[in-house]
Amino acid sequence: MKAVCWMGKSKMETLNVADPTLLNPHDAIIKITRTAICGSDLHLFDGFIPTMQAGDIVGHEFMGIVEDVGKEVTNLKRGDRVVVPFTISCGRCLFCRKQLWSLCDNTNPNAHIAETMMGYTPSGLFGYTHMLGGYAGGQAQYARVPFANVGPLKIESDLPDEKVLFLSDIFPTGYMAADNANIEEGDTVAVWGCGPVGLFAISSAFMLGAARVIAIDRFPERLDLARSLGAVTVNYAEDDVSVLTALKDLTGGMGPDSGIDAVGMEAHSNDLQGAYDKVKTALFMETDRPGVLRQAIMGVRKGGTLSIPGVYGGVLDKVPFGAAMNKGLQMRMGQTHMQKYMKPLLERIEKGQIDPTFLISHRITLDEAPKMYEIWRDKKEKVTKIVIDPWAAKAA
Amino acid sequence: MANALKEKPHAESLPLVASAGILRDGKYMAPPADKDGKTWVRTTAQIQASPLDCYELWRNYAAVPLWQEQIKEVRLKGKNSHWVMESRTGKTIEWDEELMQDEPGKRLVWRTVDGDSYNAGEVIFEEAPGDRGTIVTVLQEFGQGRLKTLTDTLTNRNPKQAVIENVRHFKAFMETGEIPRTEGQPHGPRGVTGTVKAEAYGEHIKTPPGLERKAS
Repeated sequence: MKAVCWMGKSKMETLNVADPTLLNPHDAIIKITRTAICGSDLHLFDGFIPTMQAGDIVGHEFMGIVEDVGKEVTNLKRGDRVVVPFTISCGRCLFCRKQLWSLCDNTNPNAHIAETMMGYTPSGLFGYTHMLGGYAGGQAQYARVPFANVGPLKIESDLPDEKVLFLSDIFPTGYMAADNANIEEGDTVAVWGCGPVGLFAISSAFMLGAARVIAIDRFPERLDLARSLGAVTVNYAEDDVSVLTALKDLTGGMGPDSGIDAVGMEAHSNDLQGAYDKVKTALFMETDRPGVLRQAIMGVRKGGTLSIPGVYGGVLDKVPFGAAMNKGLQMRMGQTHMQKYMKPLLERIEKGQIDPTFLISHRITLDEAPKMYEIWRDKKEKVTKIVIDPWAAKAA
Repeated sequence: MANALKEKPHAESLPLVASAGILRDGKYMAPPADKDGKTWVRTTAQIQASPLDCYELWRNYAAVPLWQEQIKEVRLKGKNSHWVMESRTGKTIEWDEELMQDEPGKRLVWRTVDGDSYNAGEVIFEEAPGDRGTIVTVLQEFGQGRLKTLTDTLTNRNPKQAVIENVRHFKAFMETGEIPRTEGQPHGPRGVTGTVKAEAYGEHIKTPPGLERKAS
C-alpha cells in the first residue's frame, strides 16, 4: 500500500510499504477512505518531538471501511464504516473505566520510554512517536487498529466522509478544550490559535454557554473564519497590538474568564521572547517554545481557568508560574478522551448543529502530501485544513 | 500522637509489613541495592482483577510463555519446574526452580535449584486500597553482578528490565487478554538511525504472544 513516511526532520515521503495485518485478537484492519494532516503532525515534521524513527508511517486522523477483524472483535464486521479515534484505549483498565481514555494503561508497548520522560505513560497514539507506542499511522491506504471494539465509532447514517472525519481528533479535541475551560453561562473565553482545534474550541465554547469569545491569531483568513463563528478577533501581528492590552480592553480590565491555548509547543512570537526560545531550542537547551502559554497565564483573569489542548513535548523555560499561583488559576489539559466525546458530537453533526467541513482548504492525494507538509509549515496557500483521499490518482 | 487526626472517613488499616519489603513498621523501605554479585529488582502493578485471578495466571506454568519475554517453555519436573529461555540470538539457557511458598491468592516464593542462571523471587497479590483491584508486587534477585547486567543491557535485555516489562505484560494480559504490540506492522525503510533507535527503545525484544486467555 501507499503511506506517508517520516524519513527524518523536514522529510516526509510517500512510499510503497507492506499492507498491515491482524496482530492481536482485538485488532481490525481498516481500508482508509479519508485521512487528514493535523497541526500536531507539523511538530513531528519539524523534528520537535523526540523518538521518531525513519520509516514511521504518520497520520492519526482517519476513517474508512472495516476490511477484516480479529477473533475477539464483536461489535464490528467487514464493510462497517467507522471513524477511528487518534488515541488507542483498552477499555478495561482503571483509567478507561474512569473515562480518562487517553491515559489508558495498556496500549503503549514502549511504556518504559514514556515513564522515563513523564513519570507514567499515557495511551498509545497512531503515528505519533515511539515513546507513545510507535504505532503505524493513518496517512495510508490501510491501517491496523488495535482494540477495535473500544475505539472506532460506527457511522450508520449516509453523511459524507468529510462531515464526520474530524471526529477522529480535532472536533473532540476542540470540544474538550472548551469543556476543560469550566465555562459558565455568560463567560468570556479567549482562544489562542485559530487553526482547526482553535476554531472547534470557539464553536464549542459558544455551545457550552460562552457569551463572548476572543480569538487570537496572525493569519487574516483564519481570523475571518473565527469571526464567521461569532468570535471577536485580535491580530497580534498588526502594528501596536498587544494581546494582553487587548484582553483587558475587551473585558473592562477584568481579563477573560477562561483561556484556551490551542497553539502548543511551537508558538510563534513576534517579540524578544520569540527570539529567546528560537535560540534555546536550536541549542537543545529547551524543547518547546511556550510563548502562548506564558501569555495565557498572564492574560486570564484572577481565579480563571486555563485549558491547554495544544501539544507540549518536554521541558519549558521561563513560564510565569508565580502569576499562575498568585492569581489562583486552574489549569486543565491533556490528550483528548476521545470515546467520551465522539458519540455526542456525531449526534450534533447528524442534527445539523455544526458542519465541520467549513475548515477544509485543501483536498489532495497521498502523493501530494509531502509537499503539503512544506506548504503548511511555511504558512503558504492559506492552509486551514488538508484532507487526503488515499485512493485518488496523482493529480496531473 | 497516634490519634491526633480523628477525621479520616475512608482510611484503611495500615499494613505494617507488606509487599515484598516495601513497608516495615509503616515506613517505606527502598529496594535492596545491587551488590556482592547480586542484581535486585522490585516492581509493582495495579490490576483490575481479583488477587485470586492474578495468582492463578501467575501460578499457571504452561501459560508463562504467553506473557513472559523470551521464555520458550516451562514444564513440571517432579515437584519443581524446568524453565527454558531463548534469547534473540537463539541461544538457550535452562534452569530448575523450586516453589518455596505457595499461598493461593496471596503469595508465591521461588528459587533456582539447578541450571545455567540463578534467580530467586517473591510475588505478592494484595487488594488495592479503596477496592481498586489488586496490587501485584515482585521482588526478584539475580545471581549476576553489574558487569553482566550491563552486557545484557547492551546485547539483549537486562534481567531488571525484563521483570519490569513482564509485570507490565502480565497486567495487560490480565486486564485485556492481549499484550500491546507493534512488531509485524508495516513501515518504510528504517535506515541506520531507525535501526539503532529501535534497539535503544527495546523494540528488538519479541513481545510475548499474549493470545486469548481462558477466563478462570
